[in-house]
Amino acid sequence: MKSIRVCSAALLALMLSLTVAACGSSSSSNTSTKVGAVPAEQSLTGKTGGNLTVVASSDVDYIDPGAAYYQFTFMVTTATQRALYSFGPDDAVNAVPDLATQAPDVSSDGKTVTVKIKSNVKFSPPVNRAATSADVKYAIERAFLPTVANGYAGAYFGDIIGVKEFQDGKATEISGIDTPNSTTIVFNLNRGTGGVVAGALALPISAPVPKEYAAKFDAKNPSTYGVNQVATGPYMIEADSKGALTGYEPGKKINLVRNPNWDRATDFRKAYLDTINIEEGNDDTTVASRQILSGNGQVNGDFGPPPPVLKQIVNTTPDQLALTPSGGLRYVSLNTTLAPFNNLNVRKAVLAVFDREAMRATRGGPLLGPIANHFIPPAMGGFDEAGGLTGTGVDFLKYPKGNLALAKEYMKKGGFPSGMYTGSQQLLMVGTSGGAAQKSSEVAAAQLEKLGFKPKLRLVTQDSMYTKFCNVPKAKVVICPNVGWLKDFADPQTILDPTFNGKNIVDVNNSNWPQLNVASVNSAMDSAEVVVGASARNKAWAAIDRQITAQAPAIPWIWDDTANIRSTNVAGVINKFNSNWDLSFTSLK
Amino acid sequence: MSTGVPRLVEPSSGLTAADPLEFGTIAGRTPWQLFWRNFKKDRVAIAGLIFIVLLVIAAITAPLITKLIGATPPNLINTDALDSFGTPTGPSSEHLFGVDPLGRDVLSRTLYGARVSLEVALISTALATFIGVVLGLVAGFFRGWVDSGISRLMDVLLAFPALLLALGLAAACSLGDGCAVSTPLQAAGLATIIVGLLGAALSFARGRREMVGASLVVVGFGLFFLLIGSFFTIKIEPGAGVVIFVITLVSWTYIARIVRGQVLSLREKEFVEASRSLGASDARIVFKEILPNLIVPIIVYATLILPTNILLEAALSFLGAGVQPPNASWGAMIAEATSVFDTAWWYMLVPGLALLFTVLAFNVVGDGLSDALNPRQEGS
Amino acid sequence: MIRYILRRLLWVVFLLFAVSFITFVIFYLLPSADPAALRAGRQPNPALVASIRHQLGLDQPWYVQYGRYMKNLIFHFDFGFSYQNGVPVRQLIFSRLPASISLAAGAAFLWLVVGIGVGIIAAVRPRTKLDRASMGLALVGISAPVYWLGLVALYLFSSDIGLIPILPGANSYVPLSEDPFSWFTSLIMPWCVLAVSFAAFYSRLLRGNLTEVLNEDYIRTARAKGLSERRVVFRHGLRSAITPIVTIFGLDLGILLGGAILTETVFNIPGIGRLSYSSIVRSDLPVIQGTVLLGAFFIVFANLFVDIFYAFLDPRVRYE
Repeated sequence: MKSIRVCSAALLALMLSLTVAACGSSSSSNTSTKVGAVPAEQSLTGKTGGNLTVVASSDVDYIDPGAAYYQFTFMVTTATQRALYSFGPDDAVNAVPDLATQAPDVSSDGKTVTVKIKSNVKFSPPVNRAATSADVKYAIERAFLPTVANGYAGAYFGDIIGVKEFQDGKATEISGIDTPNSTTIVFNLNRGTGGVVAGALALPISAPVPKEYAAKFDAKNPSTYGVNQVATGPYMIEADSKGALTGYEPGKKINLVRNPNWDRATDFRKAYLDTINIEEGNDDTTVASRQILSGNGQVNGDFGPPPPVLKQIVNTTPDQLALTPSGGLRYVSLNTTLAPFNNLNVRKAVLAVFDREAMRATRGGPLLGPIANHFIPPAMGGFDEAGGLTGTGVDFLKYPKGNLALAKEYMKKGGFPSGMYTGSQQLLMVGTSGGAAQKSSEVAAAQLEKLGFKPKLRLVTQDSMYTKFCNVPKAKVVICPNVGWLKDFADPQTILDPTFNGKNIVDVNNSNWPQLNVASVNSAMDSAEVVVGASARNKAWAAIDRQITAQAPAIPWIWDDTANIRSTNVAGVINKFNSNWDLSFTSLK
Repeated sequence: MSTGVPRLVEPSSGLTAADPLEFGTIAGRTPWQLFWRNFKKDRVAIAGLIFIVLLVIAAITAPLITKLIGATPPNLINTDALDSFGTPTGPSSEHLFGVDPLGRDVLSRTLYGARVSLEVALISTALATFIGVVLGLVAGFFRGWVDSGISRLMDVLLAFPALLLALGLAAACSLGDGCAVSTPLQAAGLATIIVGLLGAALSFARGRREMVGASLVVVGFGLFFLLIGSFFTIKIEPGAGVVIFVITLVSWTYIARIVRGQVLSLREKEFVEASRSLGASDARIVFKEILPNLIVPIIVYATLILPTNILLEAALSFLGAGVQPPNASWGAMIAEATSVFDTAWWYMLVPGLALLFTVLAFNVVGDGLSDALNPRQEGS
Repeated sequence: MIRYILRRLLWVVFLLFAVSFITFVIFYLLPSADPAALRAGRQPNPALVASIRHQLGLDQPWYVQYGRYMKNLIFHFDFGFSYQNGVPVRQLIFSRLPASISLAAGAAFLWLVVGIGVGIIAAVRPRTKLDRASMGLALVGISAPVYWLGLVALYLFSSDIGLIPILPGANSYVPLSEDPFSWFTSLIMPWCVLAVSFAAFYSRLLRGNLTEVLNEDYIRTARAKGLSERRVVFRHGLRSAITPIVTIFGLDLGILLGGAILTETVFNIPGIGRLSYSSIVRSDLPVIQGTVLLGAFFIVFANLFVDIFYAFLDPRVRYE
């Protein structure tokens, strides 16, 4: 600990970029002793009682747990809903049975997934009764209703038999979900993707929803179940006696209180806190961060401290900082269908010239995570198999600060004998305006200019960047500098499949930004989708990661760590899967 | 802003105002010479004028100056100039005013930012003045339904919260290749022609001959818009173009209202009556009698809205709707400084002071101008 | 008089219609983001996006959408739902209105007092050092951008980062109903910053008008009659000099009630200004419509009140 601290102080005193590289590499190869890193095993004991304030800049995406998809929203749903499987604080890879009693049983052909659930988990008032398998079935069915419109149900549960008929309105239930008795639920799939389904059951979509109570809300358009929801977890959103939420003011606050029907004996959670207030609308993250650091009983919700505040924390009170891998990465995507990036060697040249450390500096420097050298992030299955921190071994990703000479070699191979781009067209590059994202896109543009490219950088709002430009193949954007991906659950398929599988290129909301469509990669993914068993899946997808990296479709530049901060009197516990504070284990000192 | 309405100089009938208190030779001075004499007396205004001239020179020769003092170019990103946390470093021998969060030199960016502020403000003020004068003239001179129509149009425009309208248009025009104005222009032109023809027909039927002429002028405008829209593809690109467009849109009404008021009162004056009784056509009256008397208030009010437009451009840049990066703009620099200003105070101070002094200079000159043109005003 | 008011009211209604229509057209024709795609999440299929589009009514022709919106608005006072999170727009707007009103009202009071006070003082002592100093300061006041002043104020006085930490900084706004004392202290800096440019402008305007009026013949007569200077200035001089101030005050207040975007951004006050800015950024049409209409409503009604006030004072205006 001490040597790293001296190193950081020296950095600040000397402000020499040389030591940045030295310290950067030492901290990235030794994450467990880095300043502010979350220990491998956190202390999970605490004092009961008290109120925690979660300071957030914006709202949850959906208050309805069946539609929720943001990491920040998961912070709330993991405290109020008991999905079939959940992640404890310290293990981001292996989910533990939550509503379920044991690990899911996946048949060897991958077409059947059987889960047994507990019989003594009760809903909060006004429903009050114990949850059954029928409630889990309804939870998954309603995710496919147009009034709920869950964004990932189709991707992970779309292979269940009978989903199409249900969505078309020809059936009133999904025939492929069986509930032979009140504590057993069976998923019958028409493809062998049972391994993926088993992993996806760790998302809040599988938390039980009582049909007799919720159906009337789901009939409205959009569904109003969200503001009338019931809970199975240790906490619930404050509600009146009829179940209508009184503790939710959109964009302003969410108040969590204890769920009176929660039985501590049935749960791995501790639930020390009595109440939790989520305060939203704190746009100015610098001010909000300072408030948390100097205040009482506060933690951050959906933002990290900006670099100047980060610097202050590291120098004065590093124990208020908790850095944990986000489970994702950031990259700059190159459109492989448009010239000049339809040429593999030109792409390799761009990857070779990119100063990825400069990109990382825009987010706060080496403290925020290691330079990414392939696509599966750390603390995920398949990471080590794909080469770990050092990468897959390709030369064009060997130099974090970029290597102009190597880049020029690749340009020559790509048909530009001078080593520089000689074309006349301006390349459309669309980034997000404002904040660190704008800085990253400006740095990215500067990297391209080193090889003679002429990027036409357009900065628009983030929503616009996604829905009108980068996610729309027709918009013909050549470079998207502000993209990245976060895992959905602890399976490497969730990182690589939506983003690099040729069959996932769609007209609207496309996440395969490079529009990579390589037959060998696609078929490898098709095979890997139906592999059963964690270690086999990790190996298969790691091999695919190497294949993708060799295609150079994007410049991975950081496997970022999420920076979380707390007030001094908060005994904070981080949920490493969700990379934010775990409300069911955090307590006050 | 000036404190009163400037009075008119006497009509261009060849008379000059002699200064009767001057001993010795009674030299006849033109109104312009008088004005300059009064203006010179105001030392603060002269100081402001000198500042503006220097600023314009600095803006034009920005590349030269940057090279001379050896500052790094304004758009050169240099993350090595940041510390290990990616936060900017302060004033040093290499960077006189420090660097911004991307390691770019603040001094050169401030110099180049002057270009943006001046260019946008000058062009949009000129355009707004032109449009305002034309529409105000037409409304005030022809009166009748033409006046009502234009006034109502201004009412609708003024009902919008200005900053919101500007923001909304800027956001909307930042898509794709910007806003294609050609089709709306054609549509507007067609609508204007139809309205004009209707008006002409109605006026003719009701026997109001003078309104027929007015209606035909309106038809002429409509035709003009239609032709422009048909032959030119006008796209308002994101960046300076959008800002100029929205600033012009929200500030022309100010000039139009003033000009309309002036024209309304001028119409009734004796010299106009005299001209008319001599058989002068409308066009002649407008161009020879009315317009010359408008020059003074037009200049004064244009100089009054110029500083407001500079501030408006900066506000739009501050909110992210201004010129596109990497080009520097003072407002955008202040916006970037918001997250680091407690440690990187230089980044907030320098562009802010630049803005303050520029707007102050224009305000002071504007004050001096209107005071010099109103010798009866008391005090400074 | 009644006829005049009725005529103006009719025009006001038409204006609001025009504003809502133009806003709709601008953001419908040139939307900067696709709300259906936004709500559909990260990995939707085209069927999902299409069903969301249908659910939001976005697949209807524009006049149907506009007609539906206006019908809901007029008959049910329903402003629709935010595309972002489905919250009723009316609830969003009304929950943020108190903050904007707090900011506008407090600043208005401050700038009236300071502006008029300084204007009077400068006018009755023309060309003294006091006059020159105050007018000089006023010049600086109208030249400084309000957001920059806010940042400087925070840098100097904010309790968490300022050089002289005496006032609560940004993001410290608390509603009046929750804690009156904190509400008041958190608004002191924003009030002062917002009031500066207005106070400066008003003081210059009043000084100019008052100086002119005080040189009129009837003032000389009053003085000659032996009236005290105080009476002369306040009862006779101020009366005529104050009318343009009243007009402008009404208009300024009208604009400000619709949300002071820049001040709210710098001090992180959860008002209408910030709401309208974030809704424009997110292309959230129902919220944009709601906030623009609200802003226009305040502006137009402020204009109306000022006009009626003038018609009351000057009967000739009613027949225009």
